[in-house]
Amino acid sequence: MRYVRSFFAFWYDFLVGDRWELFLGPIAALLIAWLAVRAEAPAPVTGVLLFVFVSSIGGASVAWAIRR
Amino acid sequence: MSSLALVTLVSTFLASAVEFVEAVTIVLAVGVTRQWRSALIGVAAALVALALLIAIFGSAIVLFVPISVVRLVVGGFLIIYGLQWLTKSVLRAGGAKAKHDEAAIYQREIAALRAEPPVPATGMDWISFTVAAKGVLLEGLEVAFIVVTFGATAGMLAPAVLGAAGAGALVLGIAFLVHKPLAAVPENGLKFAVGVMLTGFGTFWAGEGVGIDWPAGDATILVLLAGYIALALLGIYLVRESLSRRRTGATTAPAARGEL
Repeated sequence: MRYVRSFFAFWYDFLVGDRWELFLGPIAALLIAWLAVRAEAPAPVTGVLLFVFVSSIGGASVAWAIRR
Repeated sequence: MSSLALVTLVSTFLASAVEFVEAVTIVLAVGVTRQWRSALIGVAAALVALALLIAIFGSAIVLFVPISVVRLVVGGFLIIYGLQWLTKSVLRAGGAKAKHDEAAIYQREIAALRAEPPVPATGMDWISFTVAAKGVLLEGLEVAFIVVTFGATAGMLAPAVLGAAGAGALVLGIAFLVHKPLAAVPENGLKFAVGVMLTGFGTFWAGEGVGIDWPAGDATILVLLAGYIALALLGIYLVRESLSRRRTGATTAPAARGEL
């Protein structure tokens, strides 16, 4: 059990660490882009949307880190 | 060599160089304070484990997983990973976070190793073996992750492995020659470059994975990279401005209250 816990703890630390917004944010951004594609939004618009979302997540995380 | 192969090679080379510098610091500390032979056997064992991981997962992903799924999952992970590196390097360049100090880490490792039981007079020193192997394996896992993801998604496993192996050979060679931690390596600059690359490629591939038909094809990658570089540089500027405003506020506030 201890090994299983430390295995998951390692991967949690590897992928999420102390900045969960950088893990969940891109997943949410991709979900929104996927929904936009399904809604037949033009490709350039969806592409720009994805870029803007990803950049905003990075920007928000930096701003958050400074405030902390 | 195609431009995609070249970009893959450069990306994995830079990413791997950063990780190898960190691994070399640990191995040097072990070798200098305890026993070189056991430390190097530990390094060799970790490298074999990493090579197996890359071969197994790299081949399995390429052979058994549909390319659209690979692009979505790998692209998503690259965005997550790239943003972690990029935001950290922006915070460090802006002065909001302390820079990675290999010399200080080296001193801490040496102090921790000196507190361990003495090296056995004969045979293997398992502390040297374990610490060196663990250091290389943990830092190398990030290299393996980047090599497998880049290699599998772009279908460029060979250039990805070549980039990582080249970085490993270069960093180990320099460390062998200078025999001290590579504190002069511009680690934050490398992390910035790699963060931009991972985020840019991740956005492109994950976008393809969700069904975006990028208007300019592969050339869109360049546009994404340029966009992320511009925003990251703007981020560094804004972090510096914010910190300097905060410092000015901290010194003027007591004066405004008549305390100075």
